[in-house]
Amino acid sequence: MQRILNALIQFRNVVLYLLLLFIALVFINGNSEFHKTIFSRYGFYVSQRFQSINHKITYFFSLSEVNKKLLDENTTLKALELQNNSIALYPDALTQKARFPFKVIGANVIKNGFLSQRNYIILGRGKAGGIQPEMAVISKNGVVGLVQDVSENYSNVISILHEDMKINVRLKNNRAFGSLAWKGKHPQDFQIEDIVTSAQIGVGDTLITGGMSSYFPVGIPLGKVVQLDSSQLDGYYTIDVKLFEDPSQVHYVYLLENQDREEIKDINQKKNP
Amino acid sequence: MTRENIVLLATFLALLFFQPFVFNQFQLFGSINPLVYILFLVLYPFDQEQALFIVLGFCLGLGIDFLGQTAGAHTVATLTTAFVRPKLIRYAYGSTAEIPARYIDDSRTFNNFLFLVFLITFHHFLYFIMVYFSWDALGLIANNTFFTSLFSLLLISLISRFYSK
Repeated sequence: MQRILNALIQFRNVVLYLLLLFIALVFINGNSEFHKTIFSRYGFYVSQRFQSINHKITYFFSLSEVNKKLLDENTTLKALELQNNSIALYPDALTQKARFPFKVIGANVIKNGFLSQRNYIILGRGKAGGIQPEMAVISKNGVVGLVQDVSENYSNVISILHEDMKINVRLKNNRAFGSLAWKGKHPQDFQIEDIVTSAQIGVGDTLITGGMSSYFPVGIPLGKVVQLDSSQLDGYYTIDVKLFEDPSQVHYVYLLENQDREEIKDINQKKNP
Repeated sequence: MTRENIVLLATFLALLFFQPFVFNQFQLFGSINPLVYILFLVLYPFDQEQALFIVLGFCLGLGIDFLGQTAGAHTVATLTTAFVRPKLIRYAYGSTAEIPARYIDDSRTFNNFLFLVFLITFHHFLYFIMVYFSWDALGLIANNTFFTSLFSLLLISLISRFYSK
């Protein structure tokens, strides 16, 4: 306190000057509309600057919240996109009201890899987050795998980069379908071996999920045909496919829950007891 | 109260009266009104308490503003000039030279003249900045400062001669 007083006494002229200057400026502000306008313009500018800094800071601290909201929104949009993709493939899509039984849940990838021949992915969401075994896992631009085991907060996914994993696919502009399997080397190089040679296929054709399994809805884009080989005599093409997205580099995935799965299972069992 | 203080007080009051009612009516060449009231800032002794001087400068400017119906430009200009006067004195008389106790005591004509020029130009410049209050009017501010300073300088140096002993 003593020091503050000393400083005040030492700089009393400056303090006095600033005080009186402030009073004078208040007078000007009160007396003259012109000065008032200019002062308020400067005041507005300064307050705008502070507001903007303030906004940036608070925005920075709310980023994780914003991120979460965006992911939620993405999940909703992903469901709509899937629905849209599959409906558009039916010729009478616009006249019928199609049912879309898939529900979408988002999750973070905790562990991912492609070094082994049998790769697994661990997701940071489990039973508590609504995940069940046999749910399909897709990413922004393709298929990632199938849920195998679920714990309370984590789930184990068989990656599409697994030698036993086969996915039913078809061509976008052609009804020919087959099974997509990993070649076991580069995570984007896949192969289809069971499309008959009578089908019209060209290099560059887009592959989508076929919808023949109850796991994936029809119409998720997967990759492009890069090479066609029909030299084998068994009547089937060997098609090399490059995926749109590297499944080992995925950090956020969407899980699809088919709400009609039990129904499909039941009817299947009744047919083949 | 010494005689000197009485003279200063009388000057203060006289300037407060003459500036708005006499000098502001000059309107030389259309718009130039010499601001003679800062004669007080010239005459006030150099060795007196600075804080009181700042307050007096503020009061003088405020009074001129009230009587002259202006917004507050005189107050800001006069107050600031009073605040920086010690610096102006240093520049005018030399930072190592002996500072006179009063303006009228000193016989160094050139330094006196320099002091007047500094004080008047500074004050007028600030005053016109406050009046126009816009960077677009910088040319107008400089122009007005120059011509008004010229007339103020003339009148103030004339009047200050009457105070010499």
